Amino acid sequence: MGRAQIGEFEELVLLTVGVLYDDAYAVAIAKELENQSGRAVAVSAVHKSLYRLEDKGMLESRLGDPESKRGGKRKRLFNITPYGKKALDESLDLRSKLRNQIPELAFKFNS
Amino acid sequence: MKRPVDIPRLAFAFFKFYCKKNRFEELHGDLEEYFYERVESKGMVKAKWFYVRDVLRCCQPYAWKTPHIYQNSNIIMFKNYFKTASRSALRNPLSTFINLFGLSLAIGVCITIYAFYSQSLNTDRHHVNKDSVFLTTMYANRDGGVKQYGMSPLPLATYVKDEVSGIVNTCRVDDHGVVIRLNDQAFYEDVRLVDPAFMEMFTFPIKWGNAKALEDLNSIIISEYVSEKYFGTENPIDKEVLLVFKSGEKKYFKIAAVAEDFPDGAEIRFDFLINYENIEVARTTYNPNDWSAFVDATFVQVESPENVWSVKSGLGKYKSLQNEVNEDWKITDFDMVSLHDLYLASENIERAISSDKHKPGRVILPFIGVFMLALACFNYLNMAINSVAKRLKEIGVRKVMGADKRRIMIQFLAENVFITSFALLFGFFLGVSLFIPWFEGISGDSYTIKLTDQLFYTFLLGLLMITGIASGVYPAFYISKFEAVKIFKGKIRLGNKSWLTKSFLAFQMILAIITITGAVLFIENTNYQKERNWGYDQADLLYLHTFSEESYQQMKAELEQLPEIETISGSAHHVARISRSTVVENLEEKIEVSELQVEPGYLKTLGVNMNAGNYFTPNLQNAAKEIIVNETFLTQMNLDDPLGQKLSIRDQDYLIVGIVQDFHFSTFGTLIKPTIFSAVGQESLRFITAEVTFGKEIETFAEVEAIWDKLYPEIPFDGNLQANVWDGYFALISNFARFNKSVAGVAVILAMLGLYGLITLNLSGRIKEFSIRKTLGANASHLGKIISKEYWWLTAITLVFGAPLGFYAAKFQMDIVFAYPIDMGSRYIIIPVVILLLLMVTVLLTQLLKVMKFNPVKGLRSE
Repeated sequence: MGRAQIGEFEELVLLTVGVLYDDAYAVAIAKELENQSGRAVAVSAVHKSLYRLEDKGMLESRLGDPESKRGGKRKRLFNITPYGKKALDESLDLRSKLRNQIPELAFKFNS
Repeated sequence: MKRPVDIPRLAFAFFKFYCKKNRFEELHGDLEEYFYERVESKGMVKAKWFYVRDVLRCCQPYAWKTPHIYQNSNIIMFKNYFKTASRSALRNPLSTFINLFGLSLAIGVCITIYAFYSQSLNTDRHHVNKDSVFLTTMYANRDGGVKQYGMSPLPLATYVKDEVSGIVNTCRVDDHGVVIRLNDQAFYEDVRLVDPAFMEMFTFPIKWGNAKALEDLNSIIISEYVSEKYFGTENPIDKEVLLVFKSGEKKYFKIAAVAEDFPDGAEIRFDFLINYENIEVARTTYNPNDWSAFVDATFVQVESPENVWSVKSGLGKYKSLQNEVNEDWKITDFDMVSLHDLYLASENIERAISSDKHKPGRVILPFIGVFMLALACFNYLNMAINSVAKRLKEIGVRKVMGADKRRIMIQFLAENVFITSFALLFGFFLGVSLFIPWFEGISGDSYTIKLTDQLFYTFLLGLLMITGIASGVYPAFYISKFEAVKIFKGKIRLGNKSWLTKSFLAFQMILAIITITGAVLFIENTNYQKERNWGYDQADLLYLHTFSEESYQQMKAELEQLPEIETISGSAHHVARISRSTVVENLEEKIEVSELQVEPGYLKTLGVNMNAGNYFTPNLQNAAKEIIVNETFLTQMNLDDPLGQKLSIRDQDYLIVGIVQDFHFSTFGTLIKPTIFSAVGQESLRFITAEVTFGKEIETFAEVEAIWDKLYPEIPFDGNLQANVWDGYFALISNFARFNKSVAGVAVILAMLGLYGLITLNLSGRIKEFSIRKTLGANASHLGKIISKEYWWLTAITLVFGAPLGFYAAKFQMDIVFAYPIDMGSRYIIIPVVILLLLMVTVLLTQLLKVMKFNPVKGLRSE
């Protein structure tokens, strides 16, 4: 496989899975993202990203215990894999590398 | 997976429908968690709505069930076949192009042929009542053989309607040439006189106005075409047109309806429709009870088509009525032909209201379609067999992994069908956008593929299967036979099949030469027909048709003033325009002939050669009983010493006084008929034929036309230079030549592609050899010899078999279309041979050039 390619929203989901360590499932991730970013997040969008990331090998998952607030249904809990971490690191590196190359002059605004 | 109590029923069912079983628990758990939370915070009603929204939003591929077929291992295998097929197709762009292009061309041709066939077979079958409406036909024995005729006795329709049971409707149809006056201009047009039931029995949708209006004697229905011709986009309803009938009567009609454009290829159509009762205006001698007269067609609509035999037997009693009064046209029997069958049956019905003009096409086109498909399939076969070397490893691996012979065969067949379906797509567009318009240009008709036509899809599917399997079965069989062990050891020796690929190539070449011969012969024949002697001096003749005895005399007097006109003569009929049909008999024979009633000087003016005897006696009294006959007449009547012989015509004795050489009354498409000339009475003179000083024809003709326009501004001029009367026919036969040229073009392209592909593949396998030869100093002529060596005997065989075959195929085709085809000498075998040889040499040269330019270092280095 070449470079790990992830989209912006996928990257956010991946980060949130890390933040919620050990209790990262779709509803929790959606809520956490809503809280942190302040924008509405549809649970279906989170589902889509989670399954894609799992297919790419950046996440792994297991089923949790049944809970009554879920009508007695189990939830799928996600964890970051080493490959997922590598993708996050690469993405972050690229961003900071680019950010650092911006000359000071570019931020000298007139106002 | 039971539904929790408060969850909306429908949305839950939908979710259950689309969601994968193994993700149902986690996904629905998420939805339920949201739902219960929202019940708390927003109340039950809103929570339910949000739930519905979530279910709809989750309906995405990640949640969908996998359809069962995707789990079938066969399907997975097929997916893999298609993947390898498309990959190997992309890896060999040249052979893929040749295959696709060839197949597309062939399929395009087949689709065009389908359009032609489907239209031809469905002609006049759009009428709702096509099964219950019948044309009454009659059998009559005019010259020793019983023939079926499309017209019927005039009073038949009125009689059967009342006297024969099981008849719902009858309709008489009679065509009359009239002069139409509109906006101070005059035009010749054909008007169809019909009973009002016409519009009920036949299905002709109306664009404007009311079809019932035909019951009014003063109404006229026109076609959309006529409406556009005379009125443009304007609505012409209630406008008046003046019709001038042959009888000299004039009558105003009001446009009551405009019929929609007729379906493509409709044979029964009309320009102008008026009520049949107007026949009293159109024909002064009209008598509704005259059994000796005919009407162009009588249609009857019966109650039940199965019982048409009873109606038919009901017609029998009118035979005697008719036989009593019309000695010349004794009807032996009546018959009924349904509208559904009429078009295809009309080939055998004389003077029928429709005529089958597609017959030659229906005979020849399927051959061409099969030819093209065969050519394309052979290309494919050759390419597949020769490119197998590149895929040996793949086959080996598949075999090792457990594929048996059958699987490999299925794989290659599936691949083939896959490629063919692309070709089908291209071929469809090629057919619709290129071949059909081209074919329309040649045939003058319009053809459409209706996308609602279910048969068309069946046809496409059949084409796909036949082409795919026919071209793929052999390569698949050949490839699947290899043994895996031998493949990996490198022990498979390819190329031992070259005799097979070469015989395919030879076959293609034979097909190509057949079509080239056809094209060459048709082009030559077209020129030959144009040069052919008409049997008289058409070049310096002009004729004109007058509408009455007075106008004849007036025009004749005017024409005699012109200095350029050398001789002038009159007639009631005219060569290439009109004659009458007459029965001639003596004691032994009885035949039907064309009769032309002419003045004594007519034949001299025409320049027809006399074999024996004389023109008529100038004295009219004697001449009235004299006839001049042509050579065909003599052979058909078996007359040895004809001069002075007596013949019976219309129950009177006539004397043969002269014999003329055969000349062409109608175009070269029809055989020369037995023809007689008899003297004409002054009152029937209509045609003026004049011989013009050589070289002045066009100016004189313009002068004559000017005189006419001055004398009769309200009547259109009807005349022509005799040399131009068959322009339409010559345009038609040049179209035949064009058609054959195009067919040959496609066939040659296919064969040359095949040759090109084969040589390319052959050379690419011998790069090392040629590189070594080049480094050792081989020059162009040497390399050329080596490359072309194995193709010479192939060419020889092609020519030996192909040239005579092509010759006979072209002859067969020509005999269908022409009555007097070109005398086919041996040079027409040589021309196609030279053309084919030149093409082959060109293909070989391009390859030689490639080898010459090739750098041998590269060839030796590569592995």
